[in-house]
Amino acid sequence: MGITLANAFPHKRFFLEMFTRDIALEDCLLDLIDNSIDSLVRQKNIDPAKDILKKRKTKPPGPLHKVILDLSSKEISISDDCGGIPRSLIDEVFSFGHDAHAKLGQLGAYGIGLKRAIFKIAEQFELDTRTNGEGFRTSVNIPAWAQRDEKPEDWKIPVNLTVPSTNKPAGTDIKFTTLRDEVKMRIRDGAFEGRVSASIAQTYCLFLEDSIRVALNGKTVEPLELPLGSSGLIKPGKVEFTKGSVKVLIMASLAARRPDWAYDRAGWYVLCNGRVVVAADKTDLTGWGEALPNFHSKYNGFVGVVIFRSRNPLELPWTTTKRGLNRESPVFQSARIEMNLLARPIISFLNDMYKSELVEEPAERKIAEKVTLKDIREVVARKPATFQITKKPQQAKATTRIQYEAAVHDIERIKKAIRQPAWGANKVGKYTFDYFVKTECPD
Amino acid sequence: MQPTESYLKVFYDVRPAKQVERRMLVESFQVLSHLGFPIHEYQYTGLGSIYFVDFIMFHKVLGIRRMLSVEHDEQIRKRVTFNQPFRCVRVKLANIANEIPSLSTRRKHILWLDYDSMLTREHLEHLWLSAAKLPRHSFILVTVDVEPPVKSGTPRKWRDYFRDQGQQYLGNLVLADFAQSNLVNVNKGILTRAIDSGVSSRNVKYIPLWAFSYADGHEMLTVGGMFGTDQDEESLRSGIFAQLDYVKFNRDSDPFRITVPRLTRKERLYLDKLMPAAKNWSPKQFELPQDWIDAYRLIYRYFPSYAELVL
Repeated sequence: MGITLANAFPHKRFFLEMFTRDIALEDCLLDLIDNSIDSLVRQKNIDPAKDILKKRKTKPPGPLHKVILDLSSKEISISDDCGGIPRSLIDEVFSFGHDAHAKLGQLGAYGIGLKRAIFKIAEQFELDTRTNGEGFRTSVNIPAWAQRDEKPEDWKIPVNLTVPSTNKPAGTDIKFTTLRDEVKMRIRDGAFEGRVSASIAQTYCLFLEDSIRVALNGKTVEPLELPLGSSGLIKPGKVEFTKGSVKVLIMASLAARRPDWAYDRAGWYVLCNGRVVVAADKTDLTGWGEALPNFHSKYNGFVGVVIFRSRNPLELPWTTTKRGLNRESPVFQSARIEMNLLARPIISFLNDMYKSELVEEPAERKIAEKVTLKDIREVVARKPATFQITKKPQQAKATTRIQYEAAVHDIERIKKAIRQPAWGANKVGKYTFDYFVKTECPD
Repeated sequence: MQPTESYLKVFYDVRPAKQVERRMLVESFQVLSHLGFPIHEYQYTGLGSIYFVDFIMFHKVLGIRRMLSVEHDEQIRKRVTFNQPFRCVRVKLANIANEIPSLSTRRKHILWLDYDSMLTREHLEHLWLSAAKLPRHSFILVTVDVEPPVKSGTPRKWRDYFRDQGQQYLGNLVLADFAQSNLVNVNKGILTRAIDSGVSSRNVKYIPLWAFSYADGHEMLTVGGMFGTDQDEESLRSGIFAQLDYVKFNRDSDPFRITVPRLTRKERLYLDKLMPAAKNWSPKQFELPQDWIDAYRLIYRYFPSYAELVL
């Protein structure tokens, strides 16, 4: 009998080889952009969670801040002019996870993004950052750092304190060289750049318009707007509530036409502090198959947007990769209810639009044709309401369509009887109908 | 011994078992009223169709004045309005799925999704929405046809049907659970789980109160309950409400079976005079199967009398 102490100390291998498996390369790159945005938030003391939803009155003043991301199979680099990282945060930059009292950014919540990106991407890593007046720089060879793994001291990383030259704007430069083989393979894939570009365009769609510009391999990424639509006849539904420190805003409507509805743009978009975390979701995560039917192409016209905002990003329902939602999050569970309640009338509208047995074209189709893109900020400014459709009363039509099955044999007999062997079935149908009206229904 | 199909045909139009169910529900709400639930101030929302039987009873007996009947079928638009029984019954031609999200949360509700069709995915969507929406102390009821969903099918085929309609609410059922005799419980499980799912992230839960099965022709099932807290459940379980024969708090218990024995008027009058009878009592004067007597003992207070009316 007795007590022994089991060793629960972490191994570097775990961080190097295990927790890099749960994130895609694209998302690692986005983590780096998140850090740039957080620098901007710190420097300007702005609250993007709040400010990006404000309706723009004029063009933003002054030049936008820039993030420059360059990808090649030799090197990945990212530089920004977003203000840099103050020396007081050196430990926060390199430690795994944050201190309980750390002042968190708006998008960086977990304290793993940069580290995970380093381990995922390369063997050699350099960082140079400067605020106004002071800076620091480091260069790490990961295999060499990983070799020693016995005591806490082995985890430390030497950092050079610097006095930056005044001609360089305050900001951060990060460079990865000696890329890992699997990373080189992905970058060589002709589709990779497009994927990264699309990810940036969607993820930061609200930032890219207003507060920051991202250039990928020399070209500025254009935002991919949230396709929320409206028109004179339909008004998006909107709900707001607050749970703890988290403000929740939910909007749902028909999608903007371009000119049709696209499968890949339909579904729920979920944003945390302005960053798109889940795009065009059609799974049970957002309620499809529970309160809503399973997603089907007839719902391509559905778009919903959920925005979670908080000063404390740990309370937001995102996962550590920021590419998914934590289903257990209480605030997300509450939001999910409201999402389903708000979505339901739109689903019914689309059901009516694509009824299987149609006699005449439903009014829904005419209404849907006119839906155009609505700036999400304008919807945000509206009062909460359910999704509304103004249906004009349909004028009683003087005609209707008739369609029915008839035996080919009988049609041939009729054709013979009326001596019109060249007529099609349609014409025969019309003729027999007219004949009946004429002979049996005198005016 | 079960009453046979031919006997039922006589009564099909008037549906005595359904009426027994309605009367039991009315009695339940009377007891709940007595316990302090202001039922007369509730909103009753149902699928009144053109008959409105539930609306008439709930208005006349329970005094409910705020009533909404939702009907989806455009074909009977005028009939629905024509048959509106009272001014206070609002009749709306709409899809119930759209009405549920707009029910007022400032009011308490009784919502009866009285479908006459078999359980479908849509019904489960409606239940989920209701459970997500209805405020504490509101009641939900749902009725579905529980005949085997595929005619001359097998348990395997029936399982496939329920997988298609509500896989996520099946729990851990195995093939043997889809035996015909157990289909009513399969339906009950799915309906209950759909409600549980909708309410799961709220600060109330679903408290099952009723489960009726009966056949006025087709086998039907009604389940229902209240949205409330553990405390609400505790007080219902410990009070007079729990003494009602047909109340079923337990999720796993079989539904209360409403069996309406076919009796002549004379037989009924005789039996009534000796009710409530002791268990296993049977009349000496004429022969009746014991299970009919037992069934009658449970329903005689709710059993409607029918007579021809010469107008």
